[in-house]
Amino acid sequence: QAIASKSTGSSILVSTRQKGNPILTNLRSFAWEYSDILADYVLGLTTCALFLSLKYHRLHPEYIYNRIKGLQGKFNLRILLTMVDITNHEESLKELSKSSMINNVTVILCWSAAEAARYLELYKSFEHAKPSAIRGSESKGYAEKMVEFITIPRSINKTDAVSLVSAFGSIKNAVNARPEEIAIVGGWGEKKVRKWCTVVDEPFRARK
Amino acid sequence: MSSSNGDAQPVKLSLPLKYQQELFQELRQKDELVIIASGLGLPRIVTNLLHSYDAAGNNLILLVGADDRENGWIGEALAEHAAISMSPRARGLSVVNTDMMSVGTREKLYAQGGIFSITSRILVVDLLTNLLNPETITGMIVLHADKVVATSLEAFILRIYRQKNKNGFLKAFSDAPEPFTTGFAPLTSMMRNLFLRQVALWPRFQVSVAHSLEGKKKAEVIELEIPMSNSMQDIQRAILECVEVSISELKKSNTGLEMGDWNVDGALHKQFDMIVRRQLDPVWHRLSWKTKQIVHDLTVLRSMLRHLVTYDAVSFNKHLDTILAAHSPPPGSTKQNQSPWLFLDAAHTIFDTAKRRVYTGKATKNASQDIDSLKPVLEEQPKWAVLAEVMDEIDRDLYFSPQLRDDSNGTILIMCSDTGQCRQLREYLQNMNVHPEEGVIDVEKEKEESDDTDEKEPSAAFMMRRKLREYLQWKEEFKLISAALFAETQNAQNGNNTGVKGGPGSFRGKAPPNKRRRVRGGGSVGVAPTRGTHGNVLAAEDKPSEVASLLSDIQPTEVEATMKDEIVADPLEDMEDYYQLYDTKDLVVIHAFDGDMDEHILEEVKPKYIIMYEPDVAFVRRIEVYRSSHNDRNVRVYFLSYKDSVEEQRYLSSVRREKDAFTKLIKEKSSMALTITTDAHGIEDPQEAFLRTINTRIAGGGRLAATAQPPRVVVDVREFRSSLPSLLHGRNLIIVPCMLTVGDYILSPSICIERKSIKDLISSFKDGRLYNQAETMFQHYKSPMLLIEFDQNKSFTLEPFADLSGSLSSTSSTPNASSDLQSKLVLLTLAFPNLRIIWSSSPYQTAEIFESLKTQEPEPDPIAAVRIGLDGEEREGDQVFNREPQDMLRVVPGVTGTNVGRLVRGAGSLKEVANAEVEELEPMIGREAGRKVWAFFNKSVVE
Repeated sequence: QAIASKSTGSSILVSTRQKGNPILTNLRSFAWEYSDILADYVLGLTTCALFLSLKYHRLHPEYIYNRIKGLQGKFNLRILLTMVDITNHEESLKELSKSSMINNVTVILCWSAAEAARYLELYKSFEHAKPSAIRGSESKGYAEKMVEFITIPRSINKTDAVSLVSAFGSIKNAVNARPEEIAIVGGWGEKKVRKWCTVVDEPFRARK
Repeated sequence: MSSSNGDAQPVKLSLPLKYQQELFQELRQKDELVIIASGLGLPRIVTNLLHSYDAAGNNLILLVGADDRENGWIGEALAEHAAISMSPRARGLSVVNTDMMSVGTREKLYAQGGIFSITSRILVVDLLTNLLNPETITGMIVLHADKVVATSLEAFILRIYRQKNKNGFLKAFSDAPEPFTTGFAPLTSMMRNLFLRQVALWPRFQVSVAHSLEGKKKAEVIELEIPMSNSMQDIQRAILECVEVSISELKKSNTGLEMGDWNVDGALHKQFDMIVRRQLDPVWHRLSWKTKQIVHDLTVLRSMLRHLVTYDAVSFNKHLDTILAAHSPPPGSTKQNQSPWLFLDAAHTIFDTAKRRVYTGKATKNASQDIDSLKPVLEEQPKWAVLAEVMDEIDRDLYFSPQLRDDSNGTILIMCSDTGQCRQLREYLQNMNVHPEEGVIDVEKEKEESDDTDEKEPSAAFMMRRKLREYLQWKEEFKLISAALFAETQNAQNGNNTGVKGGPGSFRGKAPPNKRRRVRGGGSVGVAPTRGTHGNVLAAEDKPSEVASLLSDIQPTEVEATMKDEIVADPLEDMEDYYQLYDTKDLVVIHAFDGDMDEHILEEVKPKYIIMYEPDVAFVRRIEVYRSSHNDRNVRVYFLSYKDSVEEQRYLSSVRREKDAFTKLIKEKSSMALTITTDAHGIEDPQEAFLRTINTRIAGGGRLAATAQPPRVVVDVREFRSSLPSLLHGRNLIIVPCMLTVGDYILSPSICIERKSIKDLISSFKDGRLYNQAETMFQHYKSPMLLIEFDQNKSFTLEPFADLSGSLSSTSSTPNASSDLQSKLVLLTLAFPNLRIIWSSSPYQTAEIFESLKTQEPEPDPIAAVRIGLDGEEREGDQVFNREPQDMLRVVPGVTGTNVGRLVRGAGSLKEVANAEVEELEPMIGREAGRKVWAFFNKSVVE
């Protein structure tokens, strides 16, 4: 059978093996259709997913390896969508971690059918997405950035940030302020003052 | 008071009390865990013990778990002891912490021997790399034993130590009994972590302690209970109501957690935040936004409770203003995601009453022409007057009963909770005799006329008026500042609510001059703190004209004008010219409670009178110890506390908690099963070692020698903050600590692992760190892996508690925090299809997974692992970074994951970056980014 010929469409391809899986009832925001495919789900040209319930895995440990073998090395990203539905999952997960390295599959855990469905939807909807969302630097206003900047040292909170900057006018002045000057700002106790002063003054790199 | 040890070297001890000597002798004889009530002089015992070893010389003793101040304290005390007993072999304390010493210096130091206090993270690495051979250690002393939990670094250190060294001594100390009482058989498990068999409990009610302290030389104590003013009571009641509501809200939204301690009484306890956090921590990543908000609110509310009794009325009001501004709703927010307590009537009471303590416009309501004028009220803290009275009494006492023959100075020591409080009291005492209304009377003269009949009551009017002036000035500025800061917020809100920009909805900040308060629903004018559209409390605006009249009302009178300005920071230049030493006899010393350091204060100041402005259990004991230790010093103690206040309750409950804890400990001790395993894991199980050499997987036993060497893992030194290295070590893997640039754990030449806890994962997705890390791992390793590690006992799931139905099914709707995490995970795997993800429910589990991943893989090469990822110019060891300043730098606009390295190398510290001009930044990060960085630091919010 030819694989992936139809997988260019906008719907998730589902193997007929998955009939009756509660995930399917939770797949609501994407169209899906049964199709004759090697994997359980085809989520894009190069992405596919196998579904595994740990409960099943404990009864039939060889099943998943046959399925992975059945993929015949196709697909670039091969998700092993694993449903954690038993409490003593440690042993099985350890084994899966080991075999994911050997068999080149990526393990994604989920704890409910709804979550599993959400993962499938996410994979499909991000099929062509750029990873910019995880590359950092979201743009924010000055106030938010300022608060974020000042509150990074532990124990300093939002109120302190606002009172500090309003007392000194700018972050630069606050950075250059002497401990005694900061101590009279409302809410700035000794501990916070000391923390702040060491953080702004200590070298980025501890010299050897 | 000298005892001699086996070395025949006389050692002078400074342990005047009987129980201290008993404890010392006991400690010399055997290894044990000492849990002692706080304030009973733990540091003194430790230093004496250390000194007795120090004087003997020729040893290597490690002090574990001491913080910086304790290091300083102990070092000083040891030097002092050495000088007194003139022991030639004493060397004092050497401190080893991050920044100072290179590997070479450390090695030399260790070889010399002596007493060392070493930061745990460094010590672990040195022990593992055998820089410090555990067999050469004479003994270890562990401070803060309550923090040694199974997964802690200290426990790891002790295990390495006990594994290799069975003869050295080991003594552990703690002055906090409470942590030993939570959980199942906590004392027993703690003892196991400490590899100790015996525990000694020294509560205050222990017979010999009580006997030592309650002899005939008791201190004279005068307790003064001061009622709070009505408005203070109102505020306190209102805050407590807010706390109660917040707690019940918290309980409601998080069923299924153990919340026995979550009540208002518990909320008064010092560590309540920590207790709540610890309980919620396992599920922290699954909590709804609201719950997190409430936990945060509780901290704020609790700090308000404290500030109510410590701050003066004006400062308190100012503090509330700031809190309100900081809690302004974020743009586009709805009622759901704001602090719930702000919606309560009680919150209204808090802000309203706090304001009325400062000034009021209501008093003259019936006179119609006066309706808008504000009058300063300036309520004084009730304790102030009492303090003045006490001081007066002491003066009289000193005058009438001339110097008794004793050793103490005539000094008056006033103890209070923090330095801010110190400042306030100092100012009050300085100015309490200045009366602004009098106008012409000279201050000095007034003092001379002190026995006049029309003597003025001391008052804080002068101070308060000055504060109010400052406050009003500040408020003007603050309006502008918060307007500037939260302009976006307001615009967004106005857009949402009224559609008219800058219309009546400009909540705080610049109100239109003639529109005094927000008019809602057709013109009813609200009273001070008004309610906003969402019904929460909003800062009230006063008419500029009113403020002006108020200002004129409190214009400095002549007397006030003659007084000097408050000096905040004195650079201490020209010190010799202006300063001279005062005779200690006439000093009034104001000091803040400072833990164990207070002992020093008492010894140095030798006060005759002590005023405890706030109650503190440990300090009471310190006075007892001080008094009992000195035959010839009389002490009179005044003990001030607000009646029926949170302060009083907190004091009483802390006494009770400590007592309960000790009682529990005594009970457990009596029925404790002895732990026999002094040796940690003993020597490696020979059977295991044998089995490893024969790998059964290789049919026919092909390559027998392949796995003959013990398995090892290269671990980044920064990872020693987590418990995983300790657990790996526990599983008989050899840990090679190295400075790694790429990855956290190297299991084999091809396997490189980046470990992320859920919290790390979220934050490193946010700032893009993980993406970069994955990129570099792929450049250098064949099988990079991301380890997502959940905490022990934390729930092993990503889903939030409730609200699953709404956002999960549709990807388009606004994602909540955790489903966002899932989508980021998806993006990551799409970007790096070959990145393996390992899910581990706990560090224990991780250790097992590592072991299984390593089988059949060749061992990693530490030297190669260290070299990977280093730039040509960098050398190894160049890589010790301070985390926090760098994290802060990453937040600055213009700084990205790629240029942060150059900035860090180019500039020394945050201060340098903040002060750099665009031209200086340009060569490091380029013009555009440089300008952004400069603008961020230099943006003025005052304009």
